Amino acid sequence: MNKQKLINFELDIKKVYESGKIKAPIHLSGNNEDQLIKIFKKINNKNDWVLSTWRNHYHALLKGIPADWLKKQIIKGRSMGIINKKYKFYSSAIVGGIIPIALGLAKSIKLKKEKSKVWVFIGDMTFETGIFHECYKYSKNHNLPIKFVVEDNGLSTNTPTKETWIKKSKIPRGVYYYKYKRKYPHHGTGGWVLF
Amino acid sequence: MGRVAGYYFNIMKIKYKSELIKSMKYLGNKKDTIFIGQSIKFTGNAIYNTLTEVPNKKKIEVPVFEDTQMGMSLGLALNGFVPITCYPRFDFLIVAFNQLVNHLDKIKFMSENQFNPKVIIRTSIGSKHPLNGGVQHTQDYTEVFEKVLTEVKVVNIKEPKDIFYNFKKAYHDKSKCSYLFIEDGDFYNSK
Repeated sequence: MNKQKLINFELDIKKVYESGKIKAPIHLSGNNEDQLIKIFKKINNKNDWVLSTWRNHYHALLKGIPADWLKKQIIKGRSMGIINKKYKFYSSAIVGGIIPIALGLAKSIKLKKEKSKVWVFIGDMTFETGIFHECYKYSKNHNLPIKFVVEDNGLSTNTPTKETWIKKSKIPRGVYYYKYKRKYPHHGTGGWVLF
Repeated sequence: MGRVAGYYFNIMKIKYKSELIKSMKYLGNKKDTIFIGQSIKFTGNAIYNTLTEVPNKKKIEVPVFEDTQMGMSLGLALNGFVPITCYPRFDFLIVAFNQLVNHLDKIKFMSENQFNPKVIIRTSIGSKHPLNGGVQHTQDYTEVFEKVLTEVKVVNIKEPKDIFYNFKKAYHDKSKCSYLFIEDGDFYNSK
Protein backbone atom coordinates (compact mmCIF):
# COMPACT_ATOMS: atom_id res chain seq x y z
CA MET A 1 0.00 0.00 0.00
CA ASN A 2 1.70 3.21 -1.15
CA LYS A 3 1.06 6.82 -0.17
CA GLN A 4 -1.31 7.62 -3.03
CA LYS A 5 -3.39 4.50 -2.43
CA LEU A 6 -3.80 5.47 1.21
CA ILE A 7 -4.89 8.98 0.29
CA ASN A 8 -7.27 7.68 -2.37
CA PHE A 9 -8.87 5.23 0.06
CA GLU A 10 -9.82 8.02 2.44
CA LEU A 11 -11.04 10.20 -0.43
CA ASP A 12 -13.27 7.32 -1.51
CA ILE A 13 -14.62 6.90 2.05
CA LYS A 14 -15.19 10.66 2.24
CA LYS A 15 -17.29 10.47 -0.91
CA VAL A 16 -19.34 7.52 0.38
CA TYR A 17 -19.84 9.24 3.75
CA GLU A 18 -21.02 12.45 2.10
CA SER A 19 -23.56 10.47 0.12
CA GLY A 20 -25.18 9.51 3.46
CA LYS A 21 -24.45 5.81 3.16
CA ILE A 22 -22.38 5.51 6.34
CA LYS A 23 -24.61 6.03 9.35
CA ALA A 24 -21.87 6.12 11.96
CA PRO A 25 -18.91 8.37 12.76
CA ILE A 26 -15.77 8.08 10.65
CA HIS A 27 -12.33 9.36 11.60
CA LEU A 28 -10.30 9.85 8.46
CA SER A 29 -6.52 9.74 8.36
CA GLY A 30 -4.31 12.10 6.42
CA ASN A 31 -0.98 13.96 6.33
CA ASN A 32 0.83 11.12 8.11
CA GLU A 33 1.31 8.70 5.22
CA ASP A 34 5.12 9.01 5.03
CA GLN A 35 5.62 8.48 8.77
CA LEU A 36 3.36 5.44 8.87
CA ILE A 37 4.83 3.81 5.77
CA LYS A 38 8.26 4.12 7.40
CA ILE A 39 7.07 2.63 10.71
CA PHE A 40 5.23 -0.24 9.05
CA LYS A 41 8.45 -1.30 7.33
CA LYS A 42 9.55 -2.44 10.81
CA ILE A 43 6.35 -4.41 11.41
CA ASN A 44 6.13 -8.07 10.50
CA ASN A 45 2.67 -8.11 8.97
CA LYS A 46 2.33 -11.89 9.22
CA ASN A 47 3.24 -12.36 12.87
CA ASP A 48 3.01 -9.04 14.68
CA TRP A 49 -0.15 -7.66 16.26
CA VAL A 50 -1.27 -4.08 15.63
CA LEU A 51 -3.60 -2.31 18.03
CA SER A 52 -5.09 0.96 16.97
CA THR A 53 -7.65 3.62 17.78
CA TRP A 54 -10.84 5.01 16.28
CA ARG A 55 -8.62 6.57 13.57
CA ASN A 56 -7.42 3.28 12.19
CA HIS A 57 -7.95 3.12 8.41
CA TYR A 58 -4.29 3.71 7.48
CA HIS A 59 -3.05 1.27 10.14
CA ALA A 60 -5.44 -1.41 8.88
CA LEU A 61 -4.44 -0.94 5.24
CA LEU A 62 -0.73 -0.94 6.04
CA LYS A 63 -1.19 -4.12 8.11
CA GLY A 64 -2.34 -5.74 4.88
CA ILE A 65 -6.09 -5.84 5.46
CA PRO A 66 -7.77 -5.80 2.01
CA ALA A 67 -9.20 -2.39 1.12
CA ASP A 68 -12.52 -3.81 -0.05
CA TRP A 69 -13.08 -5.67 3.25
CA LEU A 70 -12.20 -2.55 5.19
CA LYS A 71 -14.52 -0.40 3.10
CA LYS A 72 -17.42 -2.82 3.72
CA GLN A 73 -16.80 -2.65 7.47
CA ILE A 74 -16.78 1.14 7.37
CA ILE A 75 -20.04 1.22 5.42
CA LYS A 76 -21.53 -1.12 8.05
CA GLY A 77 -20.75 1.57 10.63
CA ARG A 78 -17.75 -0.18 12.17
CA SER A 79 -15.06 2.39 11.33
CA MET A 80 -14.27 3.16 14.98
CA GLY A 81 -13.61 -0.45 15.92
CA ILE A 82 -12.04 -2.30 13.03
CA ILE A 83 -11.06 -5.80 14.16
CA ASN A 84 -9.59 -8.57 12.01
CA LYS A 85 -8.36 -11.76 13.62
CA LYS A 86 -6.62 -13.13 10.53
CA TYR A 87 -4.51 -10.00 10.26
CA LYS A 88 -3.97 -9.73 14.03
CA PHE A 89 -5.54 -6.29 14.11
CA TYR A 90 -7.61 -4.83 16.94
CA SER A 91 -8.90 -1.31 17.43
CA SER A 92 -11.11 0.41 19.94
CA ALA A 93 -12.97 3.68 20.40
CA ILE A 94 -12.18 3.91 24.12
CA VAL A 95 -9.24 6.21 24.90
CA GLY A 96 -6.35 4.14 26.23
CA GLY A 97 -8.40 0.95 26.08
CA ILE A 98 -6.08 -0.92 23.77
CA ILE A 99 -2.97 -0.44 25.91
CA PRO A 100 -3.67 -3.00 28.68
CA ILE A 101 -4.92 -5.47 26.05
CA ALA A 102 -1.67 -5.01 24.14
CA LEU A 103 0.22 -5.60 27.37
CA GLY A 104 -1.59 -8.91 27.86
CA LEU A 105 -0.87 -9.93 24.28
CA ALA A 106 2.81 -9.11 24.77
CA LYS A 107 2.86 -11.12 28.00
CA SER A 108 1.28 -14.09 26.20
CA ILE A 109 3.88 -13.88 23.44
CA LYS A 110 6.67 -13.97 25.99
CA LEU A 111 5.09 -16.87 27.92
CA LYS A 112 4.69 -18.87 24.71
CA LYS A 113 8.18 -17.92 23.55
CA GLU A 114 6.80 -16.67 20.22
CA LYS A 115 8.81 -14.38 17.99
CA SER A 116 6.17 -11.76 17.29
CA LYS A 117 5.70 -8.24 18.68
CA VAL A 118 2.77 -6.02 19.57
CA TRP A 119 2.54 -2.52 18.08
CA VAL A 120 0.28 0.00 19.79
CA PHE A 121 -0.72 3.25 18.10
CA ILE A 122 -1.98 6.01 20.39
CA GLY A 123 -2.62 9.74 20.17
CA ASP A 124 -0.87 12.47 22.14
CA MET A 125 -3.66 12.84 24.72
CA THR A 126 -3.66 9.09 25.38
CA PHE A 127 0.10 9.27 25.74
CA GLU A 128 -0.41 11.62 28.71
CA THR A 129 -2.79 9.30 30.56
CA GLY A 130 -1.90 7.25 33.60
CA ILE A 131 -2.87 4.05 31.82
CA PHE A 132 -0.11 4.59 29.25
CA HIS A 133 2.51 5.30 31.87
CA GLU A 134 1.72 2.29 34.07
CA CYS A 135 1.62 -0.04 31.06
CA TYR A 136 4.81 1.39 29.58
CA LYS A 137 6.58 0.95 32.94
CA TYR A 138 5.32 -2.64 33.27
CA SER A 139 6.32 -3.54 29.72
CA LYS A 140 9.83 -2.11 30.12
CA ASN A 141 10.46 -3.68 33.52
CA HIS A 142 9.23 -7.07 32.31
CA ASN A 143 11.00 -6.76 28.97
CA LEU A 144 7.85 -7.47 26.96
CA PRO A 145 7.79 -7.51 23.14
CA ILE A 146 5.72 -4.35 22.68
CA LYS A 147 6.32 -1.12 20.75
CA PHE A 148 4.40 2.10 21.35
CA VAL A 149 3.85 4.66 18.60
CA VAL A 150 2.64 8.14 19.57
CA GLU A 151 0.88 10.02 16.79
CA ASP A 152 0.87 13.63 17.89
CA ASN A 153 -1.59 15.91 16.12
CA GLY A 154 -1.84 18.11 19.21
CA LEU A 155 -5.56 17.57 19.60
CA SER A 156 -7.96 15.35 21.48
CA THR A 157 -11.26 15.68 19.63
CA ASN A 158 -10.75 19.45 19.28
CA THR A 159 -9.17 20.15 22.67
CA PRO A 160 -5.49 21.09 22.44
CA THR A 161 -3.55 18.60 24.57
CA LYS A 162 -1.15 21.32 25.71
CA GLU A 163 -4.02 23.53 26.89
CA THR A 164 -5.09 20.85 29.36
CA TRP A 165 -1.71 19.57 30.55
CA ILE A 166 0.22 22.87 30.15
CA LYS A 167 3.25 20.96 28.92
CA LYS A 168 3.80 17.63 27.27
CA SER A 169 5.62 14.73 28.88
CA LYS A 170 9.04 13.65 27.69
CA ILE A 171 9.00 10.77 25.24
CA PRO A 172 10.34 7.72 27.07
CA ARG A 173 13.06 5.47 25.71
CA GLY A 174 12.02 3.15 22.91
CA VAL A 175 8.76 4.93 22.08
CA TYR A 176 8.23 5.91 18.43
CA TYR A 177 6.90 9.42 18.14
CA TYR A 178 5.92 11.68 15.28
CA LYS A 179 4.03 14.94 14.83
CA TYR A 180 1.58 15.76 12.07
CA LYS A 181 -1.20 18.19 11.27
CA ARG A 182 -4.66 16.67 11.01
CA LYS A 183 -6.00 16.78 7.46
CA TYR A 184 -9.64 16.02 8.25
CA PRO A 185 -11.81 17.05 11.22
CA HIS A 186 -11.93 14.84 14.31
CA HIS A 187 -14.82 12.97 12.73
CA GLY A 188 -16.73 13.35 9.52
CA THR A 189 -15.44 15.27 6.53
CA GLY A 190 -16.14 18.87 7.51
CA GLY A 191 -19.31 19.32 5.47
CA TRP A 192 -23.01 18.84 6.09
CA VAL A 193 -24.33 15.42 5.18
CA LEU A 194 -28.01 14.74 4.60
CA PHE A 195 -28.79 11.34 6.14
CA MET B 1 -16.57 -42.69 55.65
CA GLY B 2 -18.13 -43.54 59.03
CA ARG B 3 -20.59 -46.23 60.13
CA VAL B 4 -23.65 -45.87 62.36
CA ALA B 5 -26.15 -48.67 62.95
CA GLY B 6 -25.00 -50.54 59.88
CA TYR B 7 -25.25 -47.54 57.53
CA TYR B 8 -22.30 -45.86 55.95
CA PHE B 9 -22.49 -42.08 55.74
CA ASN B 10 -20.25 -39.36 54.43
CA ILE B 11 -18.70 -37.48 57.31
CA MET B 12 -16.74 -35.24 54.91
CA LYS B 13 -19.16 -32.32 54.64
CA ILE B 14 -18.66 -30.37 51.47
CA LYS B 15 -17.10 -27.03 52.31
CA TYR B 16 -17.18 -23.80 50.37
CA LYS B 17 -13.44 -23.17 50.60
CA SER B 18 -12.38 -26.75 49.90
CA GLU B 19 -14.59 -26.81 46.80
CA LEU B 20 -12.90 -23.61 45.61
CA ILE B 21 -9.49 -25.18 46.19
CA LYS B 22 -10.59 -28.29 44.27
CA SER B 23 -11.89 -26.12 41.40
CA MET B 24 -8.70 -24.09 41.18
CA LYS B 25 -6.59 -27.26 41.25
CA TYR B 26 -8.71 -28.59 38.37
CA LEU B 27 -8.26 -25.39 36.36
CA GLY B 28 -4.58 -25.21 37.29
CA ASN B 29 -4.01 -28.61 35.72
CA LYS B 30 -5.21 -27.39 32.33
CA LYS B 31 -2.47 -26.56 29.87
CA ASP B 32 -3.97 -23.30 28.62
CA THR B 33 -4.94 -21.68 31.93
CA ILE B 34 -3.02 -18.90 33.65
CA PHE B 35 -3.87 -17.19 36.95
CA ILE B 36 -3.47 -13.44 37.28
CA GLY B 37 -4.04 -11.02 40.13
CA GLN B 38 -2.60 -9.41 43.20
CA SER B 39 -1.91 -11.61 46.24
CA ILE B 40 -2.15 -14.84 44.30
CA LYS B 41 1.47 -15.85 44.92
CA PHE B 42 1.69 -14.10 48.27
CA THR B 43 -0.64 -14.11 51.26
CA GLY B 44 -2.96 -11.18 51.80
CA ASN B 45 -6.50 -12.18 50.96
CA ALA B 46 -8.96 -15.04 51.06
CA ILE B 47 -8.61 -15.90 47.38
CA TYR B 48 -4.92 -16.65 47.94
CA ASN B 49 -5.94 -19.46 50.29
CA THR B 50 -7.93 -21.10 47.49
CA LEU B 51 -4.92 -21.17 45.14
CA THR B 52 -2.62 -23.28 47.28
CA GLU B 53 -2.84 -26.24 44.87
CA VAL B 54 -1.98 -24.13 41.83
CA PRO B 55 1.74 -24.11 40.99
CA ASN B 56 3.45 -20.71 41.12
CA LYS B 57 4.60 -21.06 37.51
CA LYS B 58 0.92 -20.76 36.51
CA LYS B 59 0.51 -17.48 38.41
CA ILE B 60 1.19 -13.90 37.31
CA GLU B 61 1.41 -11.66 40.36
CA VAL B 62 0.58 -8.15 39.19
CA PRO B 63 0.78 -4.69 40.76
CA VAL B 64 -2.34 -2.90 41.91
CA PHE B 65 -3.73 -1.88 38.54
CA GLU B 66 -7.17 -3.44 38.35
CA ASP B 67 -8.27 -2.04 34.98
CA THR B 68 -4.94 -2.93 33.38
CA GLN B 69 -5.22 -6.41 34.90
CA MET B 70 -8.58 -6.92 33.19
CA GLY B 71 -7.21 -5.66 29.86
CA MET B 72 -4.16 -7.90 30.24
CA SER B 73 -6.46 -10.85 30.89
CA LEU B 74 -8.27 -10.12 27.65
CA GLY B 75 -4.96 -9.79 25.78
CA LEU B 76 -3.77 -13.13 27.17
CA ALA B 77 -7.06 -14.70 26.08
CA LEU B 78 -6.77 -13.28 22.54
CA ASN B 79 -3.60 -15.31 22.13
CA GLY B 80 -5.05 -18.58 23.40
CA PHE B 81 -4.80 -18.54 27.19
CA VAL B 82 -7.75 -19.01 29.53
CA PRO B 83 -6.92 -16.51 32.29
CA ILE B 84 -8.43 -16.86 35.73
CA THR B 85 -8.27 -13.25 36.82
CA CYS B 86 -8.69 -12.67 40.54
CA TYR B 87 -10.15 -9.63 42.32
CA PRO B 88 -10.15 -10.21 46.07
CA ARG B 89 -13.13 -7.93 46.72
CA PHE B 90 -16.10 -6.87 44.62
CA ASP B 91 -15.28 -3.28 45.55
CA PHE B 92 -11.95 -3.60 43.72
CA LEU B 93 -13.53 -5.08 40.60
CA ILE B 94 -15.38 -1.78 40.18
CA VAL B 95 -12.00 -0.26 39.24
CA ALA B 96 -11.80 -2.70 36.32
CA PHE B 97 -15.31 -1.93 35.09
CA ASN B 98 -14.02 -0.10 32.00
CA GLN B 99 -12.09 -3.00 30.52
CA LEU B 100 -14.76 -5.48 31.59
CA VAL B 101 -17.70 -3.62 30.07
CA ASN B 102 -16.17 -1.74 27.16
CA HIS B 103 -13.86 -4.47 25.91
CA LEU B 104 -14.35 -7.99 27.25
CA ASP B 105 -18.13 -7.79 27.17
CA LYS B 106 -18.21 -6.18 23.71
CA ILE B 107 -15.52 -8.06 21.83
CA LYS B 108 -17.74 -10.77 20.35
CA PHE B 109 -20.08 -8.17 18.92
CA MET B 110 -17.33 -5.82 17.80
CA SER B 111 -15.35 -8.55 16.08
CA GLU B 112 -18.45 -10.24 14.64
CA ASN B 113 -17.45 -13.41 16.53
CA GLN B 114 -13.96 -13.54 15.07
CA PHE B 115 -12.66 -13.37 18.62
CA ASN B 116 -14.29 -15.44 21.37
CA PRO B 117 -11.87 -15.05 24.24
CA LYS B 118 -12.61 -16.88 27.47
CA VAL B 119 -11.72 -15.09 30.69
CA ILE B 120 -12.80 -16.48 34.06
CA ILE B 121 -13.12 -13.65 36.56
CA ARG B 122 -13.19 -14.36 40.28
CA THR B 123 -14.30 -11.87 42.86
CA SER B 124 -15.65 -12.06 46.38
CA ILE B 125 -18.10 -10.09 48.48
CA GLY B 126 -16.02 -9.01 51.44
CA SER B 127 -16.76 -10.77 54.69
CA LYS B 128 -18.50 -9.01 57.58
CA HIS B 129 -17.70 -11.57 60.26
CA PRO B 130 -15.86 -11.61 62.55
CA LEU B 131 -14.50 -8.30 61.22
CA ASN B 132 -16.63 -5.96 59.15
CA GLY B 133 -14.54 -4.39 56.40
CA GLY B 134 -16.89 -1.42 56.05
CA VAL B 135 -18.70 0.09 53.08
CA GLN B 136 -15.70 0.11 50.73
CA HIS B 137 -14.79 -3.54 51.34
CA THR B 138 -18.05 -5.49 51.63
CA GLN B 139 -20.40 -4.48 48.84
CA ASP B 140 -22.39 -6.86 46.69
CA TYR B 141 -22.90 -5.40 43.20
CA THR B 142 -24.27 -8.58 41.64
CA GLU B 143 -27.48 -7.02 40.34
CA VAL B 144 -25.61 -4.10 38.77
CA PHE B 145 -23.22 -6.39 36.91
CA GLU B 146 -26.06 -8.67 35.78
CA LYS B 147 -27.81 -5.64 34.29
CA VAL B 148 -24.74 -4.23 32.55
CA LEU B 149 -23.05 -7.33 31.19
CA THR B 150 -24.56 -8.77 28.04
CA GLU B 151 -22.01 -11.43 27.00
CA VAL B 152 -20.10 -12.22 30.17
CA LYS B 153 -22.08 -14.71 32.26
CA VAL B 154 -22.55 -13.87 35.92
CA VAL B 155 -22.54 -16.72 38.44
CA ASN B 156 -23.21 -16.01 42.11
CA ILE B 157 -21.99 -19.03 44.01
CA LYS B 158 -23.83 -19.51 47.27
CA GLU B 159 -23.65 -23.26 47.87
CA PRO B 160 -20.54 -25.47 48.07
CA LYS B 161 -22.17 -28.10 45.86
CA ASP B 162 -22.41 -25.62 42.96
CA ILE B 163 -18.80 -24.52 42.96
CA PHE B 164 -16.85 -27.24 41.18
CA TYR B 165 -19.66 -27.91 38.72
CA ASN B 166 -19.83 -24.27 37.66
CA PHE B 167 -16.08 -23.68 37.31
CA LYS B 168 -15.74 -26.88 35.28
CA LYS B 169 -18.69 -25.85 33.14
CA ALA B 170 -17.19 -22.40 32.58
CA TYR B 171 -13.90 -23.84 31.38
CA HIS B 172 -15.54 -26.33 29.00
CA ASP B 173 -18.37 -24.06 27.80
CA LYS B 174 -18.42 -24.49 24.03
CA SER B 175 -20.09 -21.12 23.53
CA LYS B 176 -16.71 -19.74 24.60
CA CYS B 177 -18.24 -17.20 26.94
CA SER B 178 -16.39 -15.39 29.66
CA TYR B 179 -17.63 -15.81 33.21
CA LEU B 180 -17.78 -13.66 36.30
CA PHE B 181 -17.85 -15.73 39.49
CA ILE B 182 -19.04 -13.92 42.60
CA GLU B 183 -18.04 -15.65 45.80
CA ASP B 184 -18.93 -14.69 49.36
CA GLY B 185 -16.16 -14.16 51.86
CA ASP B 186 -18.41 -15.03 54.77
CA PHE B 187 -19.02 -18.50 53.31
CA TYR B 188 -15.32 -19.43 53.16
CA ASN B 189 -15.42 -20.58 56.78
CA SER B 190 -19.12 -20.90 57.49
CA LYS B 191 -20.37 -23.29 54.79
